[in-house]
Amino acid sequence: MKKMIFKFALLAVLLVLMNWIYAKFFFKADLMRHSDEVELAWKVAADSCVMVYTGESSNHTFSWSDNDRRKISDFVFDHFPDMRCGDMTKDASHAEVYYYLLKNIPENAPVETVIVTMNLRSFGYNWIESNLETAIQKQLVLLKDNPPLVNRFKLAFKDYEILTNYERAVRRTYHRNHDTLVFPYDFPYHTNYEWDYATNRKGIMNADGTRNKELSIMAVTYVQCYAFQIHDDNPRVKDFDNIVKLAKQRGWHLVFNLLAENVEQAQELVGDDLVFLMHQNRDFLVERYGNLDDVTVVDNLEAVDSQCFIDKNFTSEHYCEAGRRSIGDNVAEAVKKYY
Amino acid sequence: MLFNSIEYVIFLPIVVMLFYLLPHRFRWMMLLVASCVFYMWFVPKYILILLITIIVDYSAGILMEKHADNHKLKKRFLVISIVSTCLVLFIFKYLGFVNDNLVALCQSLGINLDTAVNLILPIGLSFHTFQSMSYVIEVYRSNQKAERNFGIYSLYVMFFPQLVTGPIERPGNLLRQLHEEKKFEYDNISKGFRLIIFGLFIKMVVADNVGAYVDMIYAEPSKYCSWDIILGMFFYSFQIYGDFFGYSTIALGSAKLMGFNITDNFNTPYLSKSIAEFWHRWHISLSTWFRDYVYFPLGGSRVKFGRWAFNIMVVFILSGIWHGAAWNFLIWGAAHGLLHIIEKAILNHLPEKENRGKIEKIVVDAFKIAKTFILVTLFWSLFRATSFANISDLFTSLVNNFGVTEHLHVENSIWVYLGLFILLDVLLFNSRFDRWCDNRSGVVRWTIYFVLIFMIIACSSVNNFPFIYFQF
Repeated sequence: MKKMIFKFALLAVLLVLMNWIYAKFFFKADLMRHSDEVELAWKVAADSCVMVYTGESSNHTFSWSDNDRRKISDFVFDHFPDMRCGDMTKDASHAEVYYYLLKNIPENAPVETVIVTMNLRSFGYNWIESNLETAIQKQLVLLKDNPPLVNRFKLAFKDYEILTNYERAVRRTYHRNHDTLVFPYDFPYHTNYEWDYATNRKGIMNADGTRNKELSIMAVTYVQCYAFQIHDDNPRVKDFDNIVKLAKQRGWHLVFNLLAENVEQAQELVGDDLVFLMHQNRDFLVERYGNLDDVTVVDNLEAVDSQCFIDKNFTSEHYCEAGRRSIGDNVAEAVKKYY
Repeated sequence: MLFNSIEYVIFLPIVVMLFYLLPHRFRWMMLLVASCVFYMWFVPKYILILLITIIVDYSAGILMEKHADNHKLKKRFLVISIVSTCLVLFIFKYLGFVNDNLVALCQSLGINLDTAVNLILPIGLSFHTFQSMSYVIEVYRSNQKAERNFGIYSLYVMFFPQLVTGPIERPGNLLRQLHEEKKFEYDNISKGFRLIIFGLFIKMVVADNVGAYVDMIYAEPSKYCSWDIILGMFFYSFQIYGDFFGYSTIALGSAKLMGFNITDNFNTPYLSKSIAEFWHRWHISLSTWFRDYVYFPLGGSRVKFGRWAFNIMVVFILSGIWHGAAWNFLIWGAAHGLLHIIEKAILNHLPEKENRGKIEKIVVDAFKIAKTFILVTLFWSLFRATSFANISDLFTSLVNNFGVTEHLHVENSIWVYLGLFILLDVLLFNSRFDRWCDNRSGVVRWTIYFVLIFMIIACSSVNNFPFIYFQF
């Protein structure tokens, strides 16, 4: 037994040595290969950015008819011409990705203000359990708060949530069937699934009484994407809480940019009940984060007109120039109080 | 549960610790529960299929022993047991294949038959049915006493280290050991640990890393130049070897931690000088199973050449079908059988020249090894291809694409991993990693551990490659 304890102790020493070798000679290359988004964090540090904007496709998606095709972040930065600013934009990201990106900004970087995209739709299980999630989780393994060798070990032994598209669909269905919707008034549907089913049956009718297939599908999509209620245990809430904690540790001014949704179309296709939920979720976030020190929530939920939403066949936060500019201006106004 | 998963990294030490902490009489129960957990990690309901096989063969064993004097009845129990075990295998593995071929045949004859069978093959079914069958045959032959303890018999079929991809154990080896009281020995822990890290290295660092290139080439062979296709075939030889050898080695190591010795499944097969030798060195537990339960009963080699050739073809075609219910596996098996016969026929007419010089012998041996490796590699393409169209595409591109200028970029690190594996494999000729380490000094041993563990963690593929033999 003594011999074995000695050997295990020797192994432990070797593991420490391995961690040093890995961190020194291999980790950076592995990060570039398996978690390349970390380069965004390194870049804002290398550029000595004072203000950082984190976002997903909403930041850079433009309409071909736009004269100015720049990002939302660029419209924000226009207001601070003397300040070094940078963005960390990665498609399909969500708060957990932002958290690890922000965490990987070196502590000695001169960052003062961080603007984080807050996408209302990302709080719903349609997004939380999206088919992209396994790939996202895999990319985050190396960025987590462990010694580099431990993270590489977890990546090698697949210690992250690996689910097939089918398994994700099962989870989404579970939440759609079991997460109860509570209204302060009588409402006939108690779950997302019931509401979705009824909306699909009812459909959207043309003037001549025939079913408008495209709009009917769109109505169902709205229900699927927005008919949920955010609670304290929502995984995204935990991610945003972590971002708040991190900002506090680093002494950053934190601005949450609550993105615009096509509330107008939601109202037209589904009705006031869905808008009620969207408002209720918005209020939850504004209340939870807007009252914290050094944290601002910019409420852009209804800041963009319906015609400015680029995608007509599915729900998204992709805006035309006027929409991006309007959101950028609103965010900039909020940031100005820090300068 | 996969051997290269975080779950197994947690599961194995817990099982080993419990094994040594519990008194001998409770150990089999704990191992049985652990094996059930291990198997049910994949698809829980499939354990019921395993249970059917276990109940049938357990009962058959006892009944055969009870009626040992009545040869006719004994044989009947054997037949019932084998037929029912094979029936389970047939339904889950071959019914879909038979159905598809029947439908195709009927359509070609103008008969409208539209049936579909979509059963998912339970993981490792071919392995544990063969293990179960070897038990009833051994009891029938009176080489093995019927096991009375249902739990221990279940554990013999379900012992987790070798449950899903073998080695296919014989009752004379494993069942006997399940009754023995295993004492804690440092040597077993040390050897088991060595085998596990070596197995993980060849699976995760070698097989999975080259596997990414193999997948690219087999997905679209026409895109690549002939040299890349040759490279893809060469890589696949090492992917399948690393994958299966790796799994078997981890299985050996996991069992060894608890003092169990299970059968070696590989012995440097790519250094074989003939196809016959290759099958003595590759998937040894399956080769010996077919040898003992099919080849010998058919008459083995103590028959005329024609009959022997027939026996060989039967064994190899069965071996091909055992691997998978598809024509390419059957052809793969038949090709090996045919080559085996041709080799023997040539050898009969051209007897080995004696008194060769040392250098001449080395050159001749090297030529034979290269020839066997090339043939085996060519045949692996039948095994790997997803369809006949894929095989045709592969070989057409192999012949025609010498002019394609675009080349596959293979990272230098791949050659390092492969080189290290080949070097270790050659050094392990007729030996095994744990024993080979015994003869090295402490510094060399610990340097090897350091390099292997570091490579497992830092250089393993991050892609999710399931073990190739899981599909069988």
